[in-house]
This record gives sequence, C-alpha cells and structure tokens, in this order.
Amino acid sequence: MSQARLPPPPPPQWVVSLNSPMPRPSKAASSIPDPPGFSSTRGKQRQQQQQQATTKKPADTDVLKMKKAWEVAIGPSKQIPMNAIMMYMSGNSLQIFSIMMVMMLFKGPIQGLINTNAAFAKYDTPSTHSRLLGVKVVYMLMQLVLLGLGIWKVNAMGLLPTTRSDWLAWESERQPLERAHFAFR
Amino acid sequence: MRLQAALFLACLSPAAAIYPDEINHVDFHHALLGAPSADSTFFLKPSPSSNASLLYTLSDKLIVGAVNPRDGALVWRQNVSRSANSPANAGLLRGLDGNDALVGAAGSYISSWSAQDGKLGWENWVSGGVVADLELLELEDATASSGLRDTVAVINSEGTGIVKRLNGNNGRTVWEYKDASGDVPFQVSSSSTEIFYVSLQSALLKGFKIKVTALDPLSGQVTRQQILNSEADVGTPESVIYVGANSASPIIVWTDKAQKTLKVNVIGTKEVTSIAIDNTSGSDIRQITVHAPHKLNALPHFLVHYATETGAWAEVCHVDLMSGKVTKVYQLPYLPGQSAVAASVIDANVYFTRITDSEALVVSSASHGILGRWDLQKPSSDSALHSVSEVVAKGKSVAVRSALFRKHGDWQLIRNGQVEWTRHEGLIDAVAATWAESAVQEDLAHELEVEGHETVIGAYLHRVKRHARDLQYLPDWLKDLPKRILSSILTDEVSNLDSFGVAKPVLVATKNGRVYALDTGNHGAVSWGIQAVETSNWAVKAILASPGAATIYSDDGSSVTVDVSTGEIIARVEPSSSKLLAIAVLGAQDGSKLATVGVNADGSPATSFADEDGFLVTTSADGRVLGWIAKDNKIPVWEFVPPSGEKLVKATARPAHDPVASIGKVLGNRSVLYKYLNPNMALVTAVNEETHTASFYLLDGVSGKVLHATTQAGVDSTQPIASAMSENWFAYSFFGDVSGRESSAKGYQLVISELYESPSPTTVVLSTPPAFMIPEPISHMAVTQTRQGITTRLLLCTLPSSNSIVGIPRPVLDPRRPVDRDPTAAEAEEGLFRYAPYLDFDGKWYLSHTRDVAGIKDVLSSPTLLESTSLIFAYGSDIFGTRATPSQAFDILGKNFSKLQLVLTVVALGAGVAVLAPMTRRKQVNALWKI
Repeated sequence: MSQARLPPPPPPQWVVSLNSPMPRPSKAASSIPDPPGFSSTRGKQRQQQQQQATTKKPADTDVLKMKKAWEVAIGPSKQIPMNAIMMYMSGNSLQIFSIMMVMMLFKGPIQGLINTNAAFAKYDTPSTHSRLLGVKVVYMLMQLVLLGLGIWKVNAMGLLPTTRSDWLAWESERQPLERAHFAFR
Repeated sequence: MRLQAALFLACLSPAAAIYPDEINHVDFHHALLGAPSADSTFFLKPSPSSNASLLYTLSDKLIVGAVNPRDGALVWRQNVSRSANSPANAGLLRGLDGNDALVGAAGSYISSWSAQDGKLGWENWVSGGVVADLELLELEDATASSGLRDTVAVINSEGTGIVKRLNGNNGRTVWEYKDASGDVPFQVSSSSTEIFYVSLQSALLKGFKIKVTALDPLSGQVTRQQILNSEADVGTPESVIYVGANSASPIIVWTDKAQKTLKVNVIGTKEVTSIAIDNTSGSDIRQITVHAPHKLNALPHFLVHYATETGAWAEVCHVDLMSGKVTKVYQLPYLPGQSAVAASVIDANVYFTRITDSEALVVSSASHGILGRWDLQKPSSDSALHSVSEVVAKGKSVAVRSALFRKHGDWQLIRNGQVEWTRHEGLIDAVAATWAESAVQEDLAHELEVEGHETVIGAYLHRVKRHARDLQYLPDWLKDLPKRILSSILTDEVSNLDSFGVAKPVLVATKNGRVYALDTGNHGAVSWGIQAVETSNWAVKAILASPGAATIYSDDGSSVTVDVSTGEIIARVEPSSSKLLAIAVLGAQDGSKLATVGVNADGSPATSFADEDGFLVTTSADGRVLGWIAKDNKIPVWEFVPPSGEKLVKATARPAHDPVASIGKVLGNRSVLYKYLNPNMALVTAVNEETHTASFYLLDGVSGKVLHATTQAGVDSTQPIASAMSENWFAYSFFGDVSGRESSAKGYQLVISELYESPSPTTVVLSTPPAFMIPEPISHMAVTQTRQGITTRLLLCTLPSSNSIVGIPRPVLDPRRPVDRDPTAAEAEEGLFRYAPYLDFDGKWYLSHTRDVAGIKDVLSSPTLLESTSLIFAYGSDIFGTRATPSQAFDILGKNFSKLQLVLTVVALGAGVAVLAPMTRRKQVNALWKI
C-alpha cells in the first residue's frame, strides 16, 4: 500500500494552549473580578510548588540560605556609621530629642539580641544549623557594637554613675569619737 | 550633676531677694528709742499750717525721735550719742509749737533738727564744756532773723558758766555771757523781756544760794542780779525741784529739808512764797514734781504733785502777776496708787491731766471741776513714771491723749482711757535672746517618745488610744473646717505656715532684769513681759529653751525658769558666790538632756561635768583658750596662748545645729573634693595692737592643735573684726591698711576660707582667695541655719554704718573663684565665676531692705520645719526679725498659686464629663443600630 505517511495532525488547540503560556490578559480583562470562591493565588502557589519541586536541589538551597543569613548578620553594621553621626550631632545635653534618640538606639539592639533565633529561623535547617552558629555570633557582635555606641552616648551625656561624685550621696560624714563643747565669752 | 548645676543656677539668681509684698509679712521691726526722759518729752505741732502734732522725745540712750501719736510708729529718729563725744548723763531736747526746729543737747554737743523729717539743721560742739540747760526763745525780737527761733544755752565749762545765744538758722553764736564767779551753772529761763540765768552760789557754811542773773535778750548784758537765801534748804543742785521755763512768770520751786513747806519764787522778784505742804497721807513724800505750762501766753498756773510710796495727791497754785504772790487754789485729792500728771495748754487755758492706776481725769487750772473722767480699760500694775498730755476742747467736753511712760519700759498712749498703743522701749536693752519651743510640741514629743520605747503591740495600742483621745477635738475641727477652707481660698496667704515652726516665739532678756516673749508670727508683738530679776545690770550668759519652758542663766550662777506661754516664773536658782565668765551648754547635739557648766574667769569649769566623751573648750579672762576633759576641772588638757603681744579678741565655733547635706564638693570633672568636717573646730582671733596685725588661728577643740594660722598685716584693731564659722569654712572681716607687700588694699576686707580633706590624713587643704573688698564695716557675722543644710547658706553680716543686715549668699564668696581669668567650662559648670576684688552688696541681699535696723549686737538664726526657710532674729538696740529663704521658697506654694482657680477647673471638668457622658453613650448605641 503505497499509502504515503501522512504528516501527523496538528495538535489540538487545547494542547497548544496547554503548552504555551497564557497570553497576558487584557487590561479590561484583568479588572474583571474573580468569580466567588475562586482564589487566584492558589494557582500560583501550585505553580511555585511545582517549580520548587522541579528545582529543589538541597546543596544549592543551603548555600543560598547561608548567603542570606550572612546578609542578615551583617545588616546591623550598616546602621553603625549613621547612628554614630546622629549621636555625635545630637549633642550631650539632656533634651527630649536626644533622649529619644538614645532610647531608640538602645531599643533596636536589645530587641535584635532577644530575637536572634527568630531572625535566623527561616535559614535554620538541620544541615545549616551548625554553620549558622558563627553567623549568629557575628550578628550578636554587631548588635553589641550598636549597644556600645548607645552606652558611649549615655556616658557622654553624663548619665552613667562612673565617677566618684555619683556615689557621694551614699557616703556618710565621718563622726568624731570625741565632741568638744565650746564656752566662749 | 549638670542638672544640679542648672537647678542651682536657677535658684541663685533671684536668691534672697525680698519682694515688696513680703514686707511686714515675713519680717517685723521694733524701731526703739529707749526710755523717754521726763523733761525732754512733749507733744508738738511741727508745722504752723497743720494742726497735727507729733510726740517728740530724747531718750536715755540719747536718741532724738518723733513718734506718730496715732499709731505709735516712729516718724524719724537720730542718734545723738554718736556725735556727743563726751559722756553725757542726760540729754536735753526743746521745741516750740509751729517752729520747725528741735534743739537737742547731749554733753558738749548741740544740734538742731527739723521737727518734720528729722533732718539736721546745724550742729555745734561746745569747746571744753557740757551743756547744762537749753531754752528756745519763744518771742521774736528785733535781732531775730526770720525763720527758726534762737536758742539760749547754759554751758558748764569747768566751773565757769557761759550763757550763749545761738542763731536758730545756723547755730552761730549771737552773744555770749561769761559768769566767772565760780557759781555752779544751773538753768536758764526766759520771760517775754528777759533771759534769766540761774546759778547756784556756794554759801559760806553749806548749801547753795540761788542766784538769778537777768540778761538782756538782745545784747546779753546783765541787767540785774538777785540772790535768794536758800542755803538752808538747797543742799545739792537736785534739791531745786523746778525752774519754770518759758512761762509768763517763770518760777523756781524748792522745799525745805523736812519737806514741810514748799518755797516758790517768781523769777526776777526777790520774794519767796512759802506754802505749807499738807501731808495727810501719813507717809513720807517720795517725790515732788511741778508741772507748769511752757507757753509764754499761758496762764501763770502750776501744779505741784506729791507722791508717796503708796499714793499721791496734787495741788494747783496760781501766780499773781502783779504782786508776784503765789496762792494755793485747790487740791486734787489723795488717791492710793501711783499717778502721773501732765500739763497742757489750749490758747491761754491750762489743763492738767492726772492718770492714776484706774482712771484718767482732766481738770482746768482755773477751777477744780472735773472736765473729763475715763476709767482705764486695762488697769496696769506697772507704775507710771511720767506722762505728757494733749488736751483738745470740744465745746464743753474735752478729749485727752497722754503718752505715759511706765516703770518697766512701756511707753503707752492712752486716749480717753483707752490704750491706743504701747511701745516696749525696754527691749532696747536686750542682752540675750533665744527661740522658745511651745508646750504643745512637748506633749506630742513625749507621747512619741513613749511609743518609741514600748513593744510593737504596746506602741500600737498606745497610738490607737492617742488617736481615740484626739477624736474629742473632731467636732471643733469639723466646725472650723468650712471657715478654714473659705479663708484659705479667699485670703492672700496661700498656706498658713505657722504649723511649720515659722511662728516660734522669741524670748528676749534685757539688762534691767526683764524677760519679753515676742510672737514672730504676729509682727513680733510682745505677748508678755515680766520682771524676772530686780537688777539694773543682768548679765545673761545663756538661755536654754526646753519645750514649754526656758531657763535664763546669769553670770552669778543664778537662773530663772519661765513658762514660755504665760511668762510665769516656774523655778528660780539662787546665785552662787563666784562670777562666771561664760556658761557652757552640754549635750546640745541631739537637743535633749541639756546640761550647763559655768566657766570661771580663769577659764576653769566651776564644776566637773559628767559627759564621758565630751571635751570643753573655754576662754579665760586673760585671753587664753583652754581645753578640759570631763573628770578634771583643775588642770586643763591643753592650753592655747596667743604669741606675746597678741590679745585674744574673739573665739567662735561651728553652731550647735550645723547639718551638712553633702560631705563633698563635686568638681567640673566629676571628681570630689571632700570637705574637712570637724565639729570640734574653733576659730580664734587675736590682734597685736602695736604691730597692727590680726591673727586667725583654727584650733582643734579636742587636741588643741593649731590646724591653720594666718596673719593679716595692717589691721586697725579699733575697727570691728567679725568672724563666723560653719560647715567647712570660716569667714572674717577687718579693716586693712596698706602695709608692705602683704596687702596692697586699704579698706574693709572680707576673707573666706574653705577646708578640704587632703590625701594624707594629717593635713588640711585650705582654699583661701585674695580678700574681698567690702564697702562698709561688718560688726557681727552669723550663718543661716536650715533643717537639713541643703539650702544655700547666707553669711549674715550686720552693717553698723548703714544700720542694715545683709545676707551674702555663700556661692558668691566661693574661694575657688578663678582669679584674673574667666572660668573654664568645667569651672562654670560648678557655678564658679570670675573673682572680682570689690564685693558690692547687692540690693537683693539686704534682709532689712529699707528698714533702719540700728544698734544690732547679735543675730540669731534658727531652722524651721521647712527646709527652705530659716528664721532670723536680731537684737541689741532695735529688734528685727525676718524669714530668709536663700534658695527661694521651694517647698512652699507661691502666692500666685490660686486655689480658687484650681477648684474651679476641677469643678468645670467634672461638669463637662457629667454633660458629655450621656451624649456619648447615646451616640455609641445609635451607631450600633445604624448598620
């Protein structure tokens, strides 16, 4: 049968549509509200999950996570120059503005220190856990530097009881053992 | 630290300033004159245009003063004793109605003062003599210049009598008459045509003849002379009772020695009238006084007043101008008790006012009918010494006001039987004073003490019982509450501070044995005065106040304990034999269990004292400082004798109550300079009169060691040298002259030194700046005391030349002020500012502000329950009391605090809430339903 082999029939329209990305909906179409009960994000999530599932390579994600974690750890150090300049400029007098700035300066690092684990929670996997320890230490050091800046400022403002005069009120007068009574003309 | 500095600076700038509305509110002043003398006190109309008269006097302290008879306020006064260089026993003061000049004399000093404002007209010093008598010429004559009347003065110049007529305007001598006969110059009197110079001529055997020399007023020439044979009666000049002054018919009155007949001579005549003294009282006559009008145009009537120990009567006599005869007209009856009589003149009529213990009455000199009689509202037991009166006739009735001086030093004005005011002139002799504690505090203190010593449960029950007992006062308290609330809202006074110990009474002991209680909460009004001791020279050495009572110790070892609230004498200790130089008060530190130890003239304690760890530091009469221990009162533990040639003039120690709030001083670099706080320090001042140096020794009272000594060169030891000590500093002032290299400044100087601990325990670091030059001398120094010593201290300086009291804030006198450069930032932070050698007294520092606080000898300071406030009391001649707030009244609500505004604001807010709350609620409910 000299029946010539016919080229395969073109794929059906639904196959083409399935394989090609959906055209961008027109502006008018995008403004059409979703029908009730339809959630557009659900589709995306599924897409992402599919993508992740397809791109999931454990070694790569760990490197990426460490990289991200380092960025977070180094992050506070970027505030140091700015804070230092601000503290220097604000003067050592006791005013509401400088007091508030100093309070903010203390609040940030202390909250950061308390939330250290929370800050790195999303990078914490069993494989990265040991490596993350060093990152956390660096992060805490950075926060401590910021805290030190605050303490330096408070000291400059004279609020730290570091001098003898600050403890003068707790020192008591020397009482002599003998007492003289005077009878002058 | 920075905050402290800022607060401190904020406090410093207006510190100690007295606001106008505080005058007469926080302070009081008794401007005193002294006891008015009997013959130099009078009512006088100072200006011919005005009918108002003032009360003028020259006191025994030689102070000329004018007092407003309406309220007893002092109009002006002048101290004549400053100018009277020779000691004078009594001064003389003369004035004339409508003549705006008073002429006063004391010793060799004659001066004329404007009657209205007390300005000096002229002054004169009589060379080599003492003014014996003074008269103003009432009648103008041809030589009299227009203006003020001329004065005739009699001067006793070493036995020679000199009569001088002095021009009233400038005090220059118009003429002079010298009596070289050796008679005792006695008095001067004048009639309309002649001046009579009365002298006493020694009779051959004994006694004096009265010699009257008539002088021509124009030229001073002698016109005639008369000698009265009085030598049998007149033994001494005091025997002449009266020489009538300036009446139309001046008289001389004396009695015979037995006081049976009164002898009267109309001056200028030869005749002596004898009047039998009709003594029916049965006791001897103690005193005879003659009261006659002083005006030229008054009727020639006079009154003779006889006083015995128990009663008095008076006789009115008339002088017949034609014949010179004196006749007795009528008698004011004998009345038991004391009485004082005064003569006054309206036009030509003469009135006599007699004030007895229970009534005041006015009679005319012409007849015995009583024109006015008033019962005294408050009969006084204090006998009247003398009085002056002013009578006003209103149709048929009369009104009278009399200024009565009583024996115990009260000068009273009695108007129609009512006491209008009383001036307590006896306070001028104050020798000691102290703050008293009232008995109410004693009860509470006692209760608290009981509670402190019981067990916890016992104390609790005791307290519950005490509060239950206090409930009996609740109804009264509740009844009083609305009034208190209303008054506290409406009155100017925001809070009554009396309960904070601001209104403590002050006890003042005077030289003549009297004790007064002054209520400092009530303008220093005298709440009581008693004669504690019958003496004329009460040397009070110490007054110790215990709650409810006060004990006054005298130098003879005697003591009197008086009740503070009533003035009753509770206890009396009779004098011991030896004279005491001082009285030491032991155990004053905690205020309880006070004991006293007398100190003999040689500095030794009169008795051994029982205070185990106590030492006693005394000074002896010969200028040594001695230290004693409790067991031994024979041999001192140590002795400090100033170097030879130096004489100890003053010794001071820290006050008994001298709390220190901070034991160190914070420097700009935040390091601490520790104060050297030794409660046993004493500052001894010694002067060398030959080398003109003054040395100041700082001694340790226990060991007798000299901690520090400094010598100032070129010191005038005749000028006052004052010193004071407190905390870790001492201050002194003196008059320094230019001498060598040490001092290059001449003037009054004030030096202040601070003592600090040094690293090694044996030495003291001293901070002494160059002295401050001050504009006037300081006669006395004291330091304000507050409850805890937190408030800035004031150095209270008495300025005798400007009659004021100044409180210099301590920070101004900081010895660490940088010299010849501006302070560094650190120093500025400490509150130091550049040293300026000249310390001008800031007007804000004057605690006495415009008041003329004269003759202050001692200034006391006392803490109150308010830390900000210190009480100050000054005495010596005047009495002055005030409250000082050196760091402003930081613990008291200010006067601009409006309670009414506060209450209204709260009420308005409450009303707003009450109105808005339902509206909001309705709105919220409606909002819920509107879906």
